[in-house]
Amino acid sequence: MVVIDEYLAVRVLGGSWPKGLPDDELVLPASRHWRLLQRVHAPGGGQLSQLLAALPGGDLDVVRHPHPEVLQVLDPRPLLDDAAAIAAHYGAGGLLIAETLAAGLAQGRQLWFGSERNVGRALSRIADDLGIAVHVVT
Amino acid sequence: MEAMSIGEDLLDQRRRRRRAGDPRLSPAGRELFARMTSGDLAEEFQASLDDIVVADPLLGGHTVDDDA
Repeated sequence: MVVIDEYLAVRVLGGSWPKGLPDDELVLPASRHWRLLQRVHAPGGGQLSQLLAALPGGDLDVVRHPHPEVLQVLDPRPLLDDAAAIAAHYGAGGLLIAETLAAGLAQGRQLWFGSERNVGRALSRIADDLGIAVHVVT
Repeated sequence: MEAMSIGEDLLDQRRRRRRAGDPRLSPAGRELFARMTSGDLAEEFQASLDDIVVADPLLGGHTVDDDA
């Protein structure tokens, strides 16, 4: 399984498979799915939110309940203890970073992102220390 | 030419479905998803992801003051 971020999740749901992304089953950490769901259920006032709100009825269901053959959301329960240990050890208290790193550790020591900016310095530094390869494909 | 085994055939069908994206999505949705992730709306998409982390202490982490 390949652990991906929100960018790659949205891209593959839309049928745009990035060059370089391994041809394997894709999984999204639950906290990253939560971030996407926040934008769906609590839209802001920007252009993106307006365009999302104007989509045909079932389109946002694709994000709310991803098709399991395209994208699966990782069960966070088996990852929580590792995530808490990582957060405590590195002082990276947020669930987003800690759960993503725990998922990457459990799934072949690799993480895949669709944007350099979405990686972040803290995640990059800790991943390096944990021996997790961080790949960015655009 | 060797015939594809049933196992290989099923895996190939699964691979094709995975790469095709979610079949429920409309053409307008596909276009917007592309704009969000690699087009003119990518900056706003990233800003919205960043905002959610800042607004949610569980997600983004925070300092716990036990004396408060």
